[in-house]
Amino acid sequence: MHADSHSAAIWRRALMRFVNVIPHTRELGLEVLEASPRLARLRLPWHDDLLGDSERGLVHGGVLTMLLDTACGSAVLPALPAPEICPTLDLRVDHFRPAVAGQDLLVEARAVRVTASVVFTEGRAWQSAEGDVARAVGSFVRLGAHNTPPEFAEALFAEEDDHA
Amino acid sequence: MPEGIRGVEGLSGPRNGVDLSAWLELMPYARRIGVSALSDPEGEGLLFRLDPRPGNVGNIMLPALHGGVVAAFMETAATLELMLATREPRLPKVVDVSVDYLRTARLVPTHARCSLLREGRRLANVTVSAWQKEETAPVATARLHFVLGDPGSDPA
Repeated sequence: MHADSHSAAIWRRALMRFVNVIPHTRELGLEVLEASPRLARLRLPWHDDLLGDSERGLVHGGVLTMLLDTACGSAVLPALPAPEICPTLDLRVDHFRPAVAGQDLLVEARAVRVTASVVFTEGRAWQSAEGDVARAVGSFVRLGAHNTPPEFAEALFAEEDDHA
Repeated sequence: MPEGIRGVEGLSGPRNGVDLSAWLELMPYARRIGVSALSDPEGEGLLFRLDPRPGNVGNIMLPALHGGVVAAFMETAATLELMLATREPRLPKVVDVSVDYLRTARLVPTHARCSLLREGRRLANVTVSAWQKEETAPVATARLHFVLGDPGSDPA
């Protein structure tokens, strides 16, 4: 296996654990499709609870904020030299077109720049080939290795260590 | 009515016939995360509440609410505040949202108040402050733009 695809497989599993350990995204069935130091791509399967306007069959804007926050936060982890807890500092979401009922939501995000204190990210969400429903720009704070409990990395990579 | 800046004072008027729970019924995601609204005892607008539901947790180590859930709560609050102000039973369309996270949101009730900074014919600007223990120590603030307009006029 090439180093890149090997690392991508490890990161996909690690981020799958990351979103599975978050009660909110676990209960909504969020899946990680792809992950690497360059990109995280996730899918939120359709569920009627995602609606924000039942009459017109439109997705709640807050679902997109939640999804883009999760995707941008996921993209931060593989971009760091070692896993660190990075809470969201701020997030801006532009809604290009309404997301509609009955279709899965896809989202991808990347870390654009990593500094000693902050990770800058951007993300986009879509449903069909028609185009993005929303885009986001988010900044995440690096709390540093000393503020990250060892259990955090263990939770992400436990099985890889076992099978190494 | 001419367009112009209107403060919270501008929103006075009878609120009879406004059924907030019926509006929330139209928003399944807001129901899922546990948003409720009541008339603000200290003002003309609304006071919002987010239930501390285990399903809203985004970090089990702290534990803390999911930042995206807090944002969805604030967006719901802004939407309802705007519907109340415009007496428009149709849900307004969000254009953009900007959220600042100021403190860790714990697994306790979260409250929010909105300010309608501008309500024009086409667009509205709403800010939201969300807090837990003390209103003076918000956990997050948000700023949102909405398109008002009439139903068929906007292709977006």
